[in-house]
Amino acid sequence: MIEVKNLTFSYSKDKQALHGLDFTVKDGEIFGFLGPNGSGKSTTQKILTGLLRGHGGKVSLFGQDISVAQGPEFFQKIGVLFEFPYLYASLSAVDNLNYFASFYPREQRRDVGELLDMLEFKRDFLKKPVSSYSKGMRQRVSMARALVSSPRLLFLDEPTSGLDPSGAVLFRKIIEQERKKGTTVFVTTHNMVDADLLCDRVAFIVGGNLVALDTPKRLKEKNSNHGVVIDYLYQGRRERKTIEATELASGVPFACDEMISIHSQEPTLEDMFIQYTGRGLS
Amino acid sequence: MGKDFFTLFKKDCRMLASGKFFLMAIGFLILYTAYVNLGYIRFMHMEPYNVYLYDPAGTQTEKSSLVQTVSSMEDMDAALLSDANGVGIYAGDGDVQVVLYAGAERIDRHRADYALSLLRPWTSRTPEVLGTNTPEQKARKDITCELLFFELTAVGFLGIAAVLFKEKGMGVIRVHAILPLRKSKFLLSKLAVFLLSDLVFGVLLTLLNVGLADGAAILPAVLLQTAILSLLMALAGLLFALLLKDFRQFTLAYLVIAIFAATPVFLSANTSIKLDWIGYQPFYHVYMGLKNAYFGSANSPVYYAVSVTAIALLFLAVQLAFYREIRKEG
Repeated sequence: MIEVKNLTFSYSKDKQALHGLDFTVKDGEIFGFLGPNGSGKSTTQKILTGLLRGHGGKVSLFGQDISVAQGPEFFQKIGVLFEFPYLYASLSAVDNLNYFASFYPREQRRDVGELLDMLEFKRDFLKKPVSSYSKGMRQRVSMARALVSSPRLLFLDEPTSGLDPSGAVLFRKIIEQERKKGTTVFVTTHNMVDADLLCDRVAFIVGGNLVALDTPKRLKEKNSNHGVVIDYLYQGRRERKTIEATELASGVPFACDEMISIHSQEPTLEDMFIQYTGRGLS
Repeated sequence: MGKDFFTLFKKDCRMLASGKFFLMAIGFLILYTAYVNLGYIRFMHMEPYNVYLYDPAGTQTEKSSLVQTVSSMEDMDAALLSDANGVGIYAGDGDVQVVLYAGAERIDRHRADYALSLLRPWTSRTPEVLGTNTPEQKARKDITCELLFFELTAVGFLGIAAVLFKEKGMGVIRVHAILPLRKSKFLLSKLAVFLLSDLVFGVLLTLLNVGLADGAAILPAVLLQTAILSLLMALAGLLFALLLKDFRQFTLAYLVIAIFAATPVFLSANTSIKLDWIGYQPFYHVYMGLKNAYFGSANSPVYYAVSVTAIALLFLAVQLAFYREIRKEG
């Protein structure tokens, strides 16, 4: 679906933003693109969505070189959710969606009402202007806008930003449903929970360089010390021991009266990010 | 082309309507028409100066009926005190003496000559009148031309910039960047809305203030000039709105256009003030183009060639600024 080879980009002679990125995104995959501010995430996404020209290297989408495939047909196949909910404030959710949907072929358009129902949009606000919506509601309308054209490739920039926890769960469920339909999803995020729960593979980008690319599980496993922390009671006292996970194969290898908890010491995706990049995500 | 463009056009009309732009245009049309018909034309019919005569010996037997006789010097002083533009004539001992409050030297001479001419109205010669316009018709065309020029340069320019700043603020320009449509249509639809609105405004203003018969005769030429000025100003408005960060910065650009560009044009074209550099001021030529249209004079092919080139160059600049805007962070 997406093939990127030796991608470079400079905003000016002395400001190179991307230093030869290589990655591929397969059909129907949810691909996470993680990096701190200024790392080159947005630049990469803008090149992939055809907004930024003049890159070096080769970028292909839908099997076509991006430099030549930027006509309306290209934009019919992609959907983009921006970090901020960009909508006409004086129009209602329905009017916004009908307006944006009208640029796509009729057979490609999804039903606006059904989409908003799926996104659990409050019905009372359907006809009210967007200016009266909360950030979460705007984000739902923006997601509906990105999905209204049934895109084959979906770009999501911070999809759960501005949503409450239940909204974030709903969004993750919807993204998963889209993938099941065959949509490829390219997620740019700071949110490690989203990346961990949603993405088949994630790429870490720092300073315009790709420093790691793998499944979240493998990234964590590769760097795990395979230890487990056991809290237990022994002779009336609370104790804690750290042992190798393999030692548990033949039972608890020490004397204890009561087991309180067992925690694996697998690192989080954020730990991995910091380990690979030497930087946090803020 | 058609369907996308119509959708954008409809949306732009809706935005302008919600921003009360059309209502404002109608308000300006009513205001201008009331000013022309109830103020300006009446003012043009007024005598230039009141003339007061104190003639105790009754020597001025042939004076015009426009001369107002006063019975004493005190009365004349009182009249001139309340009417500082008026001119007094004292004809106490047969010789006449002009009395007035001083203004500009050249105008004072004109005032004095006018007052003295009313003492011998039969000596005044009727000058040969050039052109076919009556004085009222000329005045109507002059003021309608000025008002249309002002509306297009100052009000239309502000309107298109306000719409674009609104869309910039909402971020929807970036959404249009990923929609399956030719990006230039986003700009062309705005130009079309403003062009159409300006043309309708031009038609109504001309017909209401110049008159149906005369207005209809000059309308094609006026509409052509309106279209040129409307496109130039709309493109300039779009360019400034795309390049500048916010509406506050834009107000400075607006001051430059509305005051520093338009004022010298009015002064140079409508008064005896001659500015040597006015030939280098592009708005002067556009204004004269509009004025020629109102008075039935032809404009040179060079003027049209330069106008079309300027519109094309401005459109290219607006496109570049538009692409720069959609690549911005966010």
